[in-house]
Amino acid sequence: MIETTPPQAPARPAPGSAEDLAVRVRVLSVLVDDGSNTLSKVSGLIRRRGFHVRSISVGPSRHPGRSRMTLTVDAGHAETDQVRKQLERLVEVIEIEDVTGQLVHSRELVVAKVRSSEVAGLLSRGAKVLDSGPDGTTVEFAGEGKDVGEFIDELLHHGVLDVARSGPVVMRKTA
Amino acid sequence: MILEALEREGVEYIFGYPGGANLPIYQHLHEHPKLKHILVRHEQGAAHMADGYARACGKPGVVFATSGPGALNLVTGLATAYMDSVPMIAITGQVASTQVGRDAFQETDVIGATSSVTKHSYLVTHISQLPRVIHEAFHIATTGRPGPVLIDICKDVQQADAERITPERLEIPGYQLNGHVDLDRAREAARALAGAERPVILAGHGVLLSRAEPELRTFAEKAGAPVGTTLLGIGAFPVNHPLSLHMTGFMGTGWNLKAVQNADVLMMVGMRVDDRVTARLADFAPKVKTFIHIDIDGSEMGKNVRPHIELVADARNALEAMTPHVSALHEGRGRWLSQIDAWREEHPLKYTHSNGRLQPQDVLIDMYRRCHNDAIVVADVGQNQIWAALWWNYDRPGMFLNSGGSGTMGFALPAAIGAKFGRPDKAVWCVAGEGGFVMTAQELSVAVEHQLDVKIVLLNNFSLGMVRQFQDDFYGGVRSQSDLTHMPDFVKLSDAYGMPAIRVDKFEEIGPALDAAEKTKGPFLIDFRIDPEANVYPIVPLGKSLNDFWEAPN
Repeated sequence: MIETTPPQAPARPAPGSAEDLAVRVRVLSVLVDDGSNTLSKVSGLIRRRGFHVRSISVGPSRHPGRSRMTLTVDAGHAETDQVRKQLERLVEVIEIEDVTGQLVHSRELVVAKVRSSEVAGLLSRGAKVLDSGPDGTTVEFAGEGKDVGEFIDELLHHGVLDVARSGPVVMRKTA
Repeated sequence: MILEALEREGVEYIFGYPGGANLPIYQHLHEHPKLKHILVRHEQGAAHMADGYARACGKPGVVFATSGPGALNLVTGLATAYMDSVPMIAITGQVASTQVGRDAFQETDVIGATSSVTKHSYLVTHISQLPRVIHEAFHIATTGRPGPVLIDICKDVQQADAERITPERLEIPGYQLNGHVDLDRAREAARALAGAERPVILAGHGVLLSRAEPELRTFAEKAGAPVGTTLLGIGAFPVNHPLSLHMTGFMGTGWNLKAVQNADVLMMVGMRVDDRVTARLADFAPKVKTFIHIDIDGSEMGKNVRPHIELVADARNALEAMTPHVSALHEGRGRWLSQIDAWREEHPLKYTHSNGRLQPQDVLIDMYRRCHNDAIVVADVGQNQIWAALWWNYDRPGMFLNSGGSGTMGFALPAAIGAKFGRPDKAVWCVAGEGGFVMTAQELSVAVEHQLDVKIVLLNNFSLGMVRQFQDDFYGGVRSQSDLTHMPDFVKLSDAYGMPAIRVDKFEEIGPALDAAEKTKGPFLIDFRIDPEANVYPIVPLGKSLNDFWEAPN
């Protein structure tokens, strides 16, 4: 006898709770065709199926004519595996890997400008100074989501003038 | 080059409408006599004709439209085909590639407007892309789970000169077909069903699309399991078969719903298990211990109902693989089938005909008596659709066509015209209410122009019947905007289009009117003025479970 899937997904935790988000939010690494329409097809599909994009990063992949997207998607009221299954239906999507909860390297990038020129507290966390002048200091920092969150808390002590932040880019740890 | 490519793909008919952005294609149409172009009167009509053509003969329907409003008029027709997995190719003209994005005359982002209602779409901005795109489009539209594919071609590309280019070998890395059947799971599914005490099989459109009716019948007979169909699956299993449960869902037959709600193993094949099948999802098939789901589209697995055994495969391949593994049937099977027979006796299809008015069922019963299954019935949407689904004992595929998923009013007339082009050997009956009929009535011109033998049965109840029934039963009895008081005289309307028509008010006139329709060459309309209070039964009240179906009052 083959092991079969359970009849219904287990009961959902309270909406909005950390457990709930852990169930609903999927991190997907998606290899796509590099066409002019790909991004709108992917984002349009996510919207009309009732999902929500929490973050998206797109860049060239090692395959010519193809891009790598890292998507963090909230499945909303849908069954969570629908996010991957629906994306698989798109002809523009070539390969898709659900890396939620997997051992991955995950990096987000922050570029921030602070008023203070005293940024030792930021440097000690691993930030790099991009430039500094009388108007302030611009730094960059890359790390996992949690580290980035803590780094941004630290920024607040330095008089933040501007922040730009990317979504995560992920790669599975040694395959 | 576009027209050559269509010839190469074996296209016979194009349903289309010319305009500014596709005139270069039309300029050369006459050089391709193998391609027969049907000039429609509205692009929506073209899309439904192509849809009806495809449903009737299995080949992809082809549509031409110009940019902007022309292409946008296709949207409803594309959505109808997309929801029901019908293969279609829509070729739309687009403004010149240098004009794209400048809000040029009749420019619309057609790809953007149609992405959610097409299986795939292409914007062609250079002639070198064309041969590959057209070849790919036909492949994608017709394989796997079929669907409409749109090709938006810039006007300058239509005018560009090119050497004849034979398309390269197909290579679409993002489009993989689910070819093989997981044999272990097929065996497991077959044993689960055969070993069940109270099995039920539900069959959907996927069975028809994969032409798996013989395999379904063989499997069901061997496994001794009763078979119901969805609205779109009608024809997948003969209604007169002793194992037939007829139609399922919220307007399905009483004995079907009883069987589904009491089944212990439910096998769903080639269907989406949507809300019209399940009614209130939490109470759908509550006694089932094992759900088996077979569908070619993996995203259907667990979308609405999570299966214990899933087979992502073509229905025919899956059923073929399963049949040899049906062995010992459960000892309680005889009892289960007798129980279903008892339910069939207890909850027959019935209708009221005591008030002396013309009942729609009487019309359909007489039609069925005449042609049995040697005719294609194309229904519109609403009460007429459900009556036509229930009161005709379909025993083979392709005899009942309707817009099931999208529920598009105005579908029937153009789809019936398309069906007649696709199957000229079959009698084609268009069954419509007067509300849906007037939405696309302009296509009568096409039926008259080509003297098509399409017989239109108008079930005219002077109202939007299904809306009126819902308002009466579920919306506090408030009849709001559902009376159609100012409608044309349909006999005079037909006359204006140049076709014969008669009006029928009485039961005794049904037979002679149908005689006249059958004897007349070319299109014919019968305006059956039916009981305005006639309702569809059984029906599950909105938001209720399948257990709560209402039957026709005695």
